[in-house]
Amino acid sequence: MSQELCIMLVCFLALLCLRVPIAFVLGLVTVVTAFALDYESIPLTIASDLANGIDSFALLAIPFFILAGELMGSGGLARRLIEMATVIVGRLPGGLALVNTLTCMLFGAISGSAVAAVSSVGGTLIPEMNRKGYDRDFNIAVTASAATTGLLIPPSNIMIVYALVAGNVSVAALFLGGILPGVVIGLGIMTVAFIICKARGYGKIDTSSITENVDLGKAVFGAFPSLLLIIIVLGGILGGIFTATEASAIAVLWSFLLGVVFYREIKPSELLGITLRAARTTAIVLFLVASSYAMSRLLTQEQVPQQVSAGLLELSQNPIVILLIINLTLLAVGVFMDMTPAVLIFTPIFLPIAISLGIEPVHFGIIMIANLSIGLLTPPVGTCLFVGAGVGGSDIVRVSRAMLPFYIVMLGALLLITYWSPLSMTLPSLLK
Amino acid sequence: MNALHTFRKLNNALVAFLQVILVVVFAILVVDVIWGVASRYILGNQASWSEELARLMMVWLALLGAALVCREDKHLGLDVIVRSWPADVQRLGRLVVNLGILAFAAGIMAWGGFQLVSDRFASGQTLPALGIAKAWFYLALPVSGVLTTLFMVESLWATLTEDTAEVEEDAQ
Repeated sequence: MSQELCIMLVCFLALLCLRVPIAFVLGLVTVVTAFALDYESIPLTIASDLANGIDSFALLAIPFFILAGELMGSGGLARRLIEMATVIVGRLPGGLALVNTLTCMLFGAISGSAVAAVSSVGGTLIPEMNRKGYDRDFNIAVTASAATTGLLIPPSNIMIVYALVAGNVSVAALFLGGILPGVVIGLGIMTVAFIICKARGYGKIDTSSITENVDLGKAVFGAFPSLLLIIIVLGGILGGIFTATEASAIAVLWSFLLGVVFYREIKPSELLGITLRAARTTAIVLFLVASSYAMSRLLTQEQVPQQVSAGLLELSQNPIVILLIINLTLLAVGVFMDMTPAVLIFTPIFLPIAISLGIEPVHFGIIMIANLSIGLLTPPVGTCLFVGAGVGGSDIVRVSRAMLPFYIVMLGALLLITYWSPLSMTLPSLLK
Repeated sequence: MNALHTFRKLNNALVAFLQVILVVVFAILVVDVIWGVASRYILGNQASWSEELARLMMVWLALLGAALVCREDKHLGLDVIVRSWPADVQRLGRLVVNLGILAFAAGIMAWGGFQLVSDRFASGQTLPALGIAKAWFYLALPVSGVLTTLFMVESLWATLTEDTAEVEEDAQ
């Protein structure tokens, strides 16, 4: 067996390094290993695994939240959130940095895409901050770090993916569990930004330059319908009115009405392009889900998770040590791999270990997402960092240096999230 | 080179058709699920076909979309290592990547999917609420596999003949 496992690992790394798309790497590795193990009727079995892996009503929330996010993003969401954030935190020292952080958190949550938050919010605020004398690389670093908190603040697609592979984990509980950790990381980023701005003497905001609308009531009124998306989704799920999947469909309806009818920022002719973009993103995620399902079926059959688990528990039985090892492994994985494939591949392996140590699956999901968020901010493949550097006009090396204080605060938050479970588990416990 | 251009035109037409299908499928999906929620509140009970139809549409959306994304080379991959290689080696790498995708698309998705579909048609398994054969659900696999195969043949062909100008244009 271990020989086949070696073949699997070598194949995996070789194909990955050649830049075969990860979804196909997973599929091909499964095929090769199945042949090495002399399985029968391999094409038919793997084909049916691919289709069955995505045959789930719960997964439907993914295309819907993606589409809702695209609709929201095209409908003037960034501008309205910036206006509101400006009224709330804009007057503090380093106001623009705080406005940026708050806006990225909300935009990331509503649109469900950290990268979209960086490009939309950063596209407006980074040039503005540059003009106001803030350091360019600092601006990019703030934007990129803040954007990742949207992955923890609901609604969040990655949580749906996690719930699916974890099995028997409630999406509603995950959504609730992510709120406090996401806010804590956001506050941490704001604190760091505030201290840096104060030390470097970055000025107060000149609110008139980014918005004419500085009236509190007006700004909040403008942004409220967008924020209502979060409220509808969470309220609907909590109140038992609809499931997470149905909530996501309502989110599509709501963002459609908002963008096309109320705000009128989306022309009907743009709807085709928006739908097609959402279809592409959906296909990327779901195809990954499909092929990782095929692979994890093979891994389970060969009892690989049990072997990894036994090996790890041989090193130590101490939950603190094991969680540290898992976190360090995931940090290393996150440096090279995007979040969705990392969650799909490593959840089936690590979750049973966590459960055997008495860690709640919801808590573990939050740990994984908080951990892998940091990977979105590290070279060489940190997508948020790359998009940020592109939008802000700097290069990765310089931005990475400006990222240092933010890495530290995010790692600190990760430790807190990992070892202090009430932060993640208090809100979900209200569900019961 | 003309044969390649004709082939490319064929694929372009397929892609245009694919895009229309994707938008239509997505629209059906949205309307169907919203109708499912609404009917539960307005009519008191949810039509049983609503969830089945949604899952059917999602499989087609995911698999047809995956084929489109293959042509546009937008699937997630680790490009940082390849980027530092010399151009010739990169080209060789591209050939391997295309062959890998081609092998999976043709061998598993198209061939395995075809076996699966004929197997399910023969077994007579149906989607109970919609009253159609379950094979329609699995048919998305071979269709996506064949499309992906065509796209990969085009890409291989273009890489081998070093006629990549138009492909790069498409990617932007």
